[in-house]
Amino acid sequence: MAVTGTAAPRAAQKGFNATSLAVVAALICAAPILAVAWIALTGDTGDYLAHLAQTRLPTYLTHSAYVAGVAALGTGLLGTSLGWLIARTQFPGREFLGWVLILPLAVPAYVAAYAWLDLSTAGGPLYTATNGLFPTIRGSWGAGLMFSFVLYPYVYLLARDAFASQSADAYDAARTLGSPPWHAFMHTALPMARPAIAAGLALVMMESLADYGTVSHLGAPTLSIGLVRAWSGAGSLVDAARLSLVLVVVALLIFGLERAQRRRARSVTASGKTRPAQRFVLRGWKGIAALSFCLLPLALGMFIPLGRLAYLALSEPSTTNLLDASLNSLTLAITAAIIAAALGLSTAYALRSKGIIATMSARAAGLGYAVPGAVAAVGVIAILSGTQQILDPIWRDLTGAVFPILLTGGAAALIFAYLSRFAAAAIGPAESALSRVTPALDGAARTLGATPLQTARRVHWPLIVGGLTSAGLLVFVEVLKELPATMILRPFNYDTLAVIAHSYAADERLGEAAMPSILITLVALLPMVFVARYLSSRSAGGQDR
Amino acid sequence: MSTPILTIRGARRRYNADTPALQGADLELQSGTITALLGPSGSGKSTLLRAIAGLEPLDSGEIIGGAQSWNGPGPAVPPEKRRVGMVFQDYALFPHLNAIANVAFGLNGSDKKKRALAQLEAAELGHKANAYPHELSGGEQQRVALARALAPNPAIVLLDEPFSGLDRRLRSELRARTIASLKAAGATALIVTHDAEEAMAVADQLALMGGGRIIQTGTPDEVWMNPASAAAARLLGDVDVYTGQIANGQVSTPLGDVPAPDFKPGQLVDVLVRPAAISVIPADDGAYAVTQRRSTGAELAMTLKAADGSNWRASTPAPCDLNAGDRVNIKLNQTFVTVTNSAG
Repeated sequence: MAVTGTAAPRAAQKGFNATSLAVVAALICAAPILAVAWIALTGDTGDYLAHLAQTRLPTYLTHSAYVAGVAALGTGLLGTSLGWLIARTQFPGREFLGWVLILPLAVPAYVAAYAWLDLSTAGGPLYTATNGLFPTIRGSWGAGLMFSFVLYPYVYLLARDAFASQSADAYDAARTLGSPPWHAFMHTALPMARPAIAAGLALVMMESLADYGTVSHLGAPTLSIGLVRAWSGAGSLVDAARLSLVLVVVALLIFGLERAQRRRARSVTASGKTRPAQRFVLRGWKGIAALSFCLLPLALGMFIPLGRLAYLALSEPSTTNLLDASLNSLTLAITAAIIAAALGLSTAYALRSKGIIATMSARAAGLGYAVPGAVAAVGVIAILSGTQQILDPIWRDLTGAVFPILLTGGAAALIFAYLSRFAAAAIGPAESALSRVTPALDGAARTLGATPLQTARRVHWPLIVGGLTSAGLLVFVEVLKELPATMILRPFNYDTLAVIAHSYAADERLGEAAMPSILITLVALLPMVFVARYLSSRSAGGQDR
Repeated sequence: MSTPILTIRGARRRYNADTPALQGADLELQSGTITALLGPSGSGKSTLLRAIAGLEPLDSGEIIGGAQSWNGPGPAVPPEKRRVGMVFQDYALFPHLNAIANVAFGLNGSDKKKRALAQLEAAELGHKANAYPHELSGGEQQRVALARALAPNPAIVLLDEPFSGLDRRLRSELRARTIASLKAAGATALIVTHDAEEAMAVADQLALMGGGRIIQTGTPDEVWMNPASAAAARLLGDVDVYTGQIANGQVSTPLGDVPAPDFKPGQLVDVLVRPAAISVIPADDGAYAVTQRRSTGAELAMTLKAADGSNWRASTPAPCDLNAGDRVNIKLNQTFVTVTNSAG
């Protein structure tokens, strides 16, 4: 590892070149989008698309907006209030809940959807127990609700850290100017946390737009559904690419709005010392109310769905052999996680050099955030089939044989698609981990006699290993849960846990879908515990650690 | 004078086209002395310090440490080979290491824990050996940073605004303690500061910096009494400047004639007048009007308006019952007046 940033060009030249790896990351992340755009803009206008535009596209768009809107509302309310409770109040169990509240991120939304639909459908236990009064959870609002149950941690995490790092001065100033507490909160603390909340909401909306499993199970025809139908049903790459482009434009719009909001907020953030606020101590029934409120999302997003699925799995034992699928899932997730962490770290190092190429690469790689899995898959297909078309005649001239079909490249193509979607997710954490290594720390190590390599080993590594591990684990969890890209790209007869769960659930064989669903969640929960504890210890440990 | 332990000649460094940080700085450090590098922010002090440590490359010029060329023709000596200790402005303590591990970072050998502990104990921080940086107060962090820099027994210690993050009372205490530690270690030290009072208090030698160059060096007394230019004088405290022409071996100012025997007739000169140079004598028909008065405790600082409309700062020992609007005559103490070549 090179020690760049301390303006020692000699050292930078000797070490590995982080910028070139950042460029690789950018290519991986940006290539599928570019391929999709190319195909969409240059392909023939098929009848299907014209038909689609007249009939289905408005439906897809409305449902996408509806799903994302409900998810944003639900996660916004839950995440913000939970974040404030954990950051600004004191009640029994607060510290424990601080990180446990992050865990529902390990539950795939489609797994929650399987359980909740089964519970609330006509004849299900909730339906029976309430004489049909409990509404069946389905459709767009149902999907939005599922996303609220499992994706609120995004908003919660960012809101919590924003509330925790706020200085109490603005709030106190508002109080001295005559605002009652609630008014002061709404006009100081909440607006100050708004950029963080907006960033969380943007992530939530992206995830719900990218989802396939939940919306298909609950019957909410969003853009993702249309996209998978165009490819798997109609077999049209051009149409799939065009729908992808629509989806990406929507995603970029969301991120653009979020960025604009953040830029405006930067001038608001006061510099200098912050005086941490006193926690409100919630005693007696108030403490119990806070505790119950925090337990609610855990029950809705984790305990109830898992409980129901466990019951189903046990009461309808299935004979499905899940070993191969489990191994496939683990192999894919571990490989993608390691490569993503490496690319994230290289990009973070490259960014440290403040070079133009590095910065542009990081921005391009960041586009991956806006690439839903299905789009990444379509992009990878476009790239592979394009390459095939170019290589086929050359190969035939050279060898006389038929060129091996690239689309069956299988696992490698899957990894490519995962990386283009999730490598961006590793860059941010790697960058923030590396930001703890200030240039002065490098300088201190060097003047104390450490070579660049020793500085990397003795100073950089201990400071970044936690952040890097949690970045890799996040990618691991995401890949484990990923469904649409896997469905589109997986080689014939190559199953993952997510694919098996989805196909059984689609056949209404929930008893058999339950086991793989539980396995995904349990395997995802372990790394999630590490990530949750890491994220919470960092924010609790103060700014200077 | 003995051979300097560090010599810098013509050091130039430019970050981008508009803002050269160093524009040919020259400096020598003598073994065992404490030199304060004083200059306004943006004058290139920190860049010079980082260049000496090897953390900042030079575009041209040379740095010679002892008998070895650190920067100059050929590849630069990397920081880890220079035996330079550095205390950073924000201390740059390793956040993942406790105090003793921080101090031991630059040490080798089986007894490094013992030596690190001894160094910490010398800083009266033995009881905090296992504390992590975030568990230490600002003053304690600074002491750990100094102990860490001194532990490998460096040939030169560089301190970049080492007291800037501390409150006033702690500052003077820590300053005395730091100087004592440096003297006890027999270290050669270069301390960057933008505080004139601090520079005068700590230094055997002053080096004044402005616009990427060293504009004057000398002992604090020499530099204060004989500033080389208006810019140098301003760095060390309040001064009013009058620009005039030499006639008859002297220059006429609104405060009276100032002798300047070393200048040629007709030459344009700056007359630098410290507030302490002006003694006021209350007189109802005085030639000067008091326009402002402000008590600074032991002294009364005031502004006088001369007949030509020019303003002059004066200070007089308290108590003094002069008020704004009163008229005074003055006496000029030539010891605190310097005539230099005009900058303009």
